[in-house]
Amino acid sequence: MFTIEAFILAAVFGLIYGFLLQKADFCFVASVRDFVSVKDSRIGKGVLVLMATAMIGWGFALTTGLASLEQVWAVPIGLTNLFGGILFGIGMTIAGSCASGALYRSGMGYVQFWIVIAAMITGNLLFAFIYDPWGREGFVEPLTFTDKGYSLYEIGLPFMVLPLIFVGILILIVVKKFGVDGFLQGVKNSVTDWNGNPFKQQHWDVRFVAVLMGITATIQFITLSSISVTGPETRMGGVLVASIFGEQAVYNNVYLNNMFSSYPAIGLGPEETLVIFMVVGAFISSVLSKSFKIRFPKAKRLPAAIGGGLIMGVASRIAPGCNIANVVAGVGGLSIASIIVIFGMMIGVFIITKYYFKMPIMLFYREKDAA
Amino acid sequence: MSLSDQELKQLTVDHQLDGVGEVCPHTLNIALDGLKKAKSGDILVEVTDHSIATKTIPAAVKMNKLADHLGTVKEDGNYYIYLKKK
Repeated sequence: MFTIEAFILAAVFGLIYGFLLQKADFCFVASVRDFVSVKDSRIGKGVLVLMATAMIGWGFALTTGLASLEQVWAVPIGLTNLFGGILFGIGMTIAGSCASGALYRSGMGYVQFWIVIAAMITGNLLFAFIYDPWGREGFVEPLTFTDKGYSLYEIGLPFMVLPLIFVGILILIVVKKFGVDGFLQGVKNSVTDWNGNPFKQQHWDVRFVAVLMGITATIQFITLSSISVTGPETRMGGVLVASIFGEQAVYNNVYLNNMFSSYPAIGLGPEETLVIFMVVGAFISSVLSKSFKIRFPKAKRLPAAIGGGLIMGVASRIAPGCNIANVVAGVGGLSIASIIVIFGMMIGVFIITKYYFKMPIMLFYREKDAA
Repeated sequence: MSLSDQELKQLTVDHQLDGVGEVCPHTLNIALDGLKKAKSGDILVEVTDHSIATKTIPAAVKMNKLADHLGTVKEDGNYYIYLKKK
């Protein structure tokens, strides 16, 4: 049974995430696409800082006993992780944003991303009704190799060891490239990028936001749940199905039934509340910085929004999980499956960037080669 | 190089690029395509309502030494991103 405190806590987390995502324009598609195409590593650095903060946070929570290994989100391992990840990467690049990006941009008034979210939920339901009766035995189970998920925390090392090694390697790479002074300057820049009232400022440094998001996700992990977007969106779709076709339509579908197995009834719980309040948080943030505007997409972009959203919805159930669940809760929890999913997403983003958008791949361009 | 809003508005623009209603990566591709067609020294302005384009376009043209970002003007919910082709 859910408590009112859980709903309030979820709403607060949602507000914080939405606010922060909007402030940094934290787009996971851009972190890969812009890096390979035009060597813009700004958001990519943010994603790495977010992963590092989540790992340290999860390691700290487990070390101190504030959370237990049973709470770590790790799903079964298989080709579903890679296939779902690639498909999700393809979908989000075509649609123009990741799952969390669609939420914060919806709060900023982008009509295109309202459409993407609706298509994603449709894709979630499409998967559910493919899974039962055909998908489960047809491809999900044959492509899944383990019965349960595996987290590297289960190796038995002290919980902080692997997170510290990862963060240490990251820092070493940065220091090797930019020197100690450059590294320290980067840290200083990330926390001093202010121009007047921070709440009215349009953009915050993405690395600073990544740290705040990682800390927030850790507190959520300890007090409520692991952050996720597409699972709750699937349940929202289930609620919609139940309201139109009756609750039996949900209970009779194995996948949807399973999604509500820990719920007292078919309805919106704390995680769905969190997702809704992410949109509200982004709306507040964009209004404060005067970035809110109802933006209508060009009509020719609608097929991509719908198609990309549908692919994301289906893929997020195959993988399973979206960008934010795998990058924060998955990597924070050192889940093998999430690492595979993220790898798949990167492949998907690259394929669409190069072959669908036909963008220049300047990451591999060298002036001496051209000469 | 960063000019004031007033200075930017007084520039003679050689190429006006329409990025309103577009999101990434189209906003960036519009700028890159515009730069391909422009001559060295030409001034281009992309008009967009996609806020993150104010970060991605200047970063991309700087990183790849394609153009100088002269500045960005925000007006009526749109952003006018001024570039000068190298």
